[in-house]
Amino acid sequence: MSDISKSVRKTDAAEKISGKALYVDDIKLDHMHHALTVRSSIPAGLIKNIVLPELPDGYYSVGADDVSGKNVVKIIFDDQPIFPTDKVTYLHEPILLIVGPDKAKVKELVDQVKIEYEETKPVFDWVNSAIHYHFEKGDGNRVFRHAKKIISYDYETGYQEQAYIEPQGFIGYLDDDKVTLIGSIQCPYYVKNAVIQALGVEENQVRVIQPSIGGAFGGKEEFPSLMACQLAVAIQKIKQPISMMYDREEDMLVTTKRHPSKIHFEAAVDKTNQILGFQTHVGIDAGANIGLSGVVLSRSLIACTGAYTIPHLDVSGDVYLTNTVPNGAFRGFGAPQMYFAVEMFMEHIAKDLGIDPLTFRKRHLAKQGDKTSTNGTFRDPIIMEEMIEKAMEISDYQTKYKEYQDPSSHKGIGMSWFFHGCGFTGSGEANHIKAKVKLRKTKDGFVHILVAAVDMGQGIRTTLRKVVAEIIELPLERIIFDFPDTDFVPDSGPTVASRTMMIVGGLVARAAKEMKERFQEIEFTVQKQYEQPSYIKYDEATFQGDAYPAYSWGINIVEVDVDPVTYITKVLGSWSVYDVGKAIDERIVLGQADGGLAQGIAYGYLEVMRHENGVLKQKNMTDYIIPTAMDLGPMETVLYENPYAFGPYGAKGVGELTLVGGAPAVTKAIEQAIKKRIMKIPATPEYLMELVNHG
Amino acid sequence: MAKITFQLNGKPVQLDTNPNRRLLDVLREDFSLTGVKEGCGEGECGACAVLMNHEIVNSCSVPIANVINKEIVTIEGFSQTHRYDILRNAFEEEGAVQCGFCTPGMMIASESLLNKNANPTEEEIKIGLSGNLCRCTGYNMIIKAIQRAVKDGDGTW
Amino acid sequence: MVEGYIPTSLSDALTELANHPYRLVAGGTDMLVQHHNLKTLPINFKQDVMYIANLSELQGIQEEEEFITIGACEPLESILEHPATPKLLKDTILEMASPAIRHAGTLGGNIANASPAGDSLVPLYLMNAMLEIQSKDRTRRVDIKEFITGVRKIALEPNEIITKIILDKIDFTKATFRKVGPRRSDAISKLSFAGAVTIQDNLVMDFRIAFGSVNITVVRHPEIECQFITKTVQELKQNKEHIVSLYREYIRPIDDQRSNKEYRKQVSLNLLRQFIDTI
Repeated sequence: MSDISKSVRKTDAAEKISGKALYVDDIKLDHMHHALTVRSSIPAGLIKNIVLPELPDGYYSVGADDVSGKNVVKIIFDDQPIFPTDKVTYLHEPILLIVGPDKAKVKELVDQVKIEYEETKPVFDWVNSAIHYHFEKGDGNRVFRHAKKIISYDYETGYQEQAYIEPQGFIGYLDDDKVTLIGSIQCPYYVKNAVIQALGVEENQVRVIQPSIGGAFGGKEEFPSLMACQLAVAIQKIKQPISMMYDREEDMLVTTKRHPSKIHFEAAVDKTNQILGFQTHVGIDAGANIGLSGVVLSRSLIACTGAYTIPHLDVSGDVYLTNTVPNGAFRGFGAPQMYFAVEMFMEHIAKDLGIDPLTFRKRHLAKQGDKTSTNGTFRDPIIMEEMIEKAMEISDYQTKYKEYQDPSSHKGIGMSWFFHGCGFTGSGEANHIKAKVKLRKTKDGFVHILVAAVDMGQGIRTTLRKVVAEIIELPLERIIFDFPDTDFVPDSGPTVASRTMMIVGGLVARAAKEMKERFQEIEFTVQKQYEQPSYIKYDEATFQGDAYPAYSWGINIVEVDVDPVTYITKVLGSWSVYDVGKAIDERIVLGQADGGLAQGIAYGYLEVMRHENGVLKQKNMTDYIIPTAMDLGPMETVLYENPYAFGPYGAKGVGELTLVGGAPAVTKAIEQAIKKRIMKIPATPEYLMELVNHG
Repeated sequence: MAKITFQLNGKPVQLDTNPNRRLLDVLREDFSLTGVKEGCGEGECGACAVLMNHEIVNSCSVPIANVINKEIVTIEGFSQTHRYDILRNAFEEEGAVQCGFCTPGMMIASESLLNKNANPTEEEIKIGLSGNLCRCTGYNMIIKAIQRAVKDGDGTW
Repeated sequence: MVEGYIPTSLSDALTELANHPYRLVAGGTDMLVQHHNLKTLPINFKQDVMYIANLSELQGIQEEEEFITIGACEPLESILEHPATPKLLKDTILEMASPAIRHAGTLGGNIANASPAGDSLVPLYLMNAMLEIQSKDRTRRVDIKEFITGVRKIALEPNEIITKIILDKIDFTKATFRKVGPRRSDAISKLSFAGAVTIQDNLVMDFRIAFGSVNITVVRHPEIECQFITKTVQELKQNKEHIVSLYREYIRPIDDQRSNKEYRKQVSLNLLRQFIDTI
């Protein structure tokens, strides 16, 4: 049998290179109308009156009164209206749509809508907790009584914008009485289910189709449901095909971002300089709606020990509501904030204790059989020690580290260790998602993969086909994986949480095995549904048990040079070692590794977004700075095999793992270069100057 | 309204249109050349890149009035060339394509670079790509693809 | 509807301008961003515009004995590639924009745009660039310092067009441009710096300093510079902190979405120190 990791050409590469691949804005329909959004001009207040201009024939306004179902966007937490009825909770909140055939006219009408408000005092401080979580491990904070030393620090992280290159957009039309939506989305069934609830219609009256997707990174997980509900209401009302495309600025001003966080850490250290316990509090800014914030917070809390085993924990966190744009999913989902904080904290504890950080961290590194932060068990082998050696070897870490300790050096090298729990937190897969997949063999001998997994660049259209082809022993060309269309594919769950290959791919592999046995049948379909490994038990209320079925592990090393004149960080290079179980396609995994790390490093030192009184200061690609080809230096990645029994060919999650360690690796490197402690990200030149001047 | 004549993908075209339109919109709306993408609309991302007289420009920042008598080549036109085949093959082989939204612009940037500098250094490749944002790949595989194209296309540029 | 006029020659353009006011558009790389509209809609100009990028009279680079003249609508890329272009200006163009912007953007456009963050203005101030400006009835020359009067404010009459940029040919012993941006390329400056010096027999014969993005226009003060003419290199270097202190009051940056005033000020002065150190 050939090795499945051997790379193949991606299914969709040629059509994307040629420009023939159709993204949503490339699809033209006859009589297309245009929907533009009327938005709030204040961050908080009551809507007293809406005065519409006179609408010419064929032009419509669409708002809360037109919602025939429930005026709530179905996400996890039902607290976001499709159109607000009485109050405004953030600047640029959508109030209503204007729809018509001529976009210029629609824009003119939007500008003429007058909304009268009674302004209320907006809240920007983190004081309104909407969700509070708390859990303990071992003796909780009672262990602090036995501490020889208590060390405590506070860390902060800023916004991060997904900055997919294709802005959000949908088109939709009525097909008999079925509302059909084509959109730039990660989760066809999230959209479908949200629209069913919004319209109050039957399941077969909504259809969602995925075209080519120009990047997502979590940004197209829950936000598109809001747009889709608004557009569906409009389609139901005016019964015309409608295009609803965001320009970049609208996209950046109103779509979800990575939650800013404030993380407080206290460590109890015993007389042998071993950590007894952590007490941790994580605050995240949800913006105006809870949405996915509770789930983001729990992933952050669960990651609070980093890649280390800490015997006693007292962990708490709050989701704060503020009158700012709602935050949401972004690759890493709460973990990047925590890995920055915990990795810096471990470094800072060691420095306070006067111990070599590497030695100190190695002593605490998690091992197979250890208890996780939630009293689950790391059941599978952890091969981090070997991986760390490899990472240090390929980067020449030790030599460089020693050299850069010199007070006159402006260079630094930083190393982060991390894991990422694969799939939904806790029992999410079993209780909420219940993924279903189908394989269909057709008369002509082709096998169709029927799943709702979206290829947004990560290559799932290629890798799932490889899995099926390999198992059934068919040429790759005989396996078909068309874009998901909810009229034809079952709900295999959202394309999120590094779950697609491990969970959906695992199910597809099981289906393929059955199909292989029955392959002599002319035409048939195999369906599989997710079953949680029986040993996984998790209590969401108390945060006790196995939060994830499997963990991927990684190491990032980043080397920098910080200019003492301009305080600008130049990334000289980076080195990574990952355990993703088994790479289903080596080059695709390496591509994920490069791209994820680029986002992670940039999160740590480059990407600045902030608001002033609810007004985002960086609202376009000119002001929100992401890396160009000039910025990041060469990247080298080594993959280790460590197969997971329930993943296809042993595969675990990849997508998010490659992002979460970037920020602490680069900030540790900067810390060494400037000989000052980094307490917040992004570590901008302005911040570094402040540290050099005063810190 | 104004009469605008130019060469588009090797053929002369003429249209009577508002001169205050962007080249990007004319290409996408009037000629259905949707391989030209809009990512940012302000000349930062390069997804809308086309060749104007063999050099890369952002079609979102070029008024159609400025295109009179110029030669415009979009990805659709470029894809008919031998150079394209070499670059396409290299992009596929090196895994340079993820979501693909920036890819046509990256191909245009590559052609513009190689047309002027058939054997660029790694630094020159990076400068050549510096106006094209990619959020998926971290750029390494795109840089490698261009290096491969230089090798494979020995003498083509 | 806002009209767009496409002249066929410079005289056509000047005649039309004499009768009707237009906003001039050169390469469009900045004007189209400033007048951004929703995608597919026409550019959101607020007044009638005239497109001058392709006028052949505004193209070309001529090298004379004492100076070079650059057509106002010569693309930045061609200026970069021309052998007669002063190195300082080449260094600036390389740093200021991506290849796509360089192919469309023009030097005249960058000047007329008069952005405090306009990178090319810094070396042009340093080189005492002169602008040739034409209307239907006259041609005049003006120093760039007189031409730019404020943030996006220029001394251009409604019937005038910048036709040429004229630069003295000077052989500096050392000339440096430094752009400090949020990333290594393709970004608007937080601040920029240019310094130039001519040394003869260990004596400073010419000394020029300019700062960008730290005041409403480029900061350049010949009255400070001339205090150090005919000093020795060592004297100049010994006076480093004194020179820094002389410039300090003129560096008055702002806080914005790209940086803050403390950073802009300190780094501007750091770059000045570094320049003097490396003479």
